[in-house]
Amino acid sequence: MPLEILLVLVIGGVVGITVMLHLSGRSRVRELTPQTARSEWLRHAPDDVIIDITIAHDKRSALIRTETGNGLLWSFGADTVARHLLDFDWIDHPEGFEIVFHDFGTPKALIRLDDFERPHWQNLMDPA
Amino acid sequence: MTDQVSFPDAVQWAVPFFIAAILAEFLWIAFKGKGGRYETRDAVTSLVMGAGNIASGLVLGFIAYGFFMWLWQITPLNLGTSIPVILLCFVLDDLRYYWVHRFGHRIRWVWASHVNHHSSQHYNLTTALRQTWTYTFTFMMVVRAPLILLGFHPAMVLFCGGLNLIYQFWIHTEAIGKMPRWFEAVMNTPSHHRAHHGRNARYLDCNYAGVFIIWDKLFGTFVPEQEDDRVDFGLVHNIGTFNPLRVAFHEWVGIWRDVTQPGLTLRERLAYCFAPPGYSHDGSRESSEQIKARHLARHPEDRGTPGFEQFETKAPNTQAKQA
Repeated sequence: MPLEILLVLVIGGVVGITVMLHLSGRSRVRELTPQTARSEWLRHAPDDVIIDITIAHDKRSALIRTETGNGLLWSFGADTVARHLLDFDWIDHPEGFEIVFHDFGTPKALIRLDDFERPHWQNLMDPA
Repeated sequence: MTDQVSFPDAVQWAVPFFIAAILAEFLWIAFKGKGGRYETRDAVTSLVMGAGNIASGLVLGFIAYGFFMWLWQITPLNLGTSIPVILLCFVLDDLRYYWVHRFGHRIRWVWASHVNHHSSQHYNLTTALRQTWTYTFTFMMVVRAPLILLGFHPAMVLFCGGLNLIYQFWIHTEAIGKMPRWFEAVMNTPSHHRAHHGRNARYLDCNYAGVFIIWDKLFGTFVPEQEDDRVDFGLVHNIGTFNPLRVAFHEWVGIWRDVTQPGLTLRERLAYCFAPPGYSHDGSRESSEQIKARHLARHPEDRGTPGFEQFETKAPNTQAKQA
């Protein structure tokens, strides 16, 4: 196939499908509830015993306290990603906190917190 | 040997079909309200990975092709290009695909290339296009060497490989449940391949087939999709990025970081490259066998069921130790 036709097909196809998906509402980010946060965490870490779950006001992040330590669950498009909080940096952000993982495939997560939530999460994540 | 044989690049010619089929699947899901899910950024990432795969083939394809043509120069055999030879080549290349794919899940160096195909938590026709950019660096082209040395022309082998990939496109869907029983028995199907994409303990390291599922049945890696264990798509540790560069290279970066840790022996450094995914020198990670054993500790009722057959005959104390 001539390269120019291949390029038109590939670029046109990617752009067309992207626009179609976005306009049909497929860009919505998943919202977490206590029930879905629990089931999603156990999907990622089935052995964990959950103590409690704290969900951010924007419903896109949840701090999961388990018997073996804290974990962060966050919305990732229509799905979720979860990580135990073992090897990370915690950076203040105008909208809340940014958790930087030392992982090329999961570089960071932004936790949006209001002024009431921020000290509470800070205390939960770092009680010392 | 002469090299005056020409076959079309089947994958490039299939691009319009890929686009049309994705539209059809999306509309089917939208109107039926079932049969899969689409998410914009996930789909775009998959499509960009597919475009990058074609681009990497254009840029790096000469390496594999040069190797194959060198083999073609030295082999005294030439089976020609008759229809029966093409059919035989297709079947044997599918056997080649089975083993390359199996290596892709059991050797971390090859997994680093293949992992991106499994990095979506969705399973739709765009997932089929989420393909590697780094296949050349796995050196898995050597697995095709026997075919060329046996007298199958390199262009024909690559043509059959392209048809194999096109076949695999349509099986990346939740819109099709089960095919007729005879078809499920012989061919790779959406059901069989859904199981392959599962991160559930049961479905780890199964169903490596490209076109014919008989290879998995022959080599003991077949696990049928279970109605009572719905497939959870993605990786054991799902990645948190839609950035195609991170998707393409994250496992290679992981290998680099592991290998360059201070204080490791040469054997440990090599194991980080070539042992099955999940290897760690300090036991801090889990292999698929350990994940299965841990699952059975929680769900002993699954012992001996599909995907857990290898644990069937082990004594209880051994199982406890593994868990």
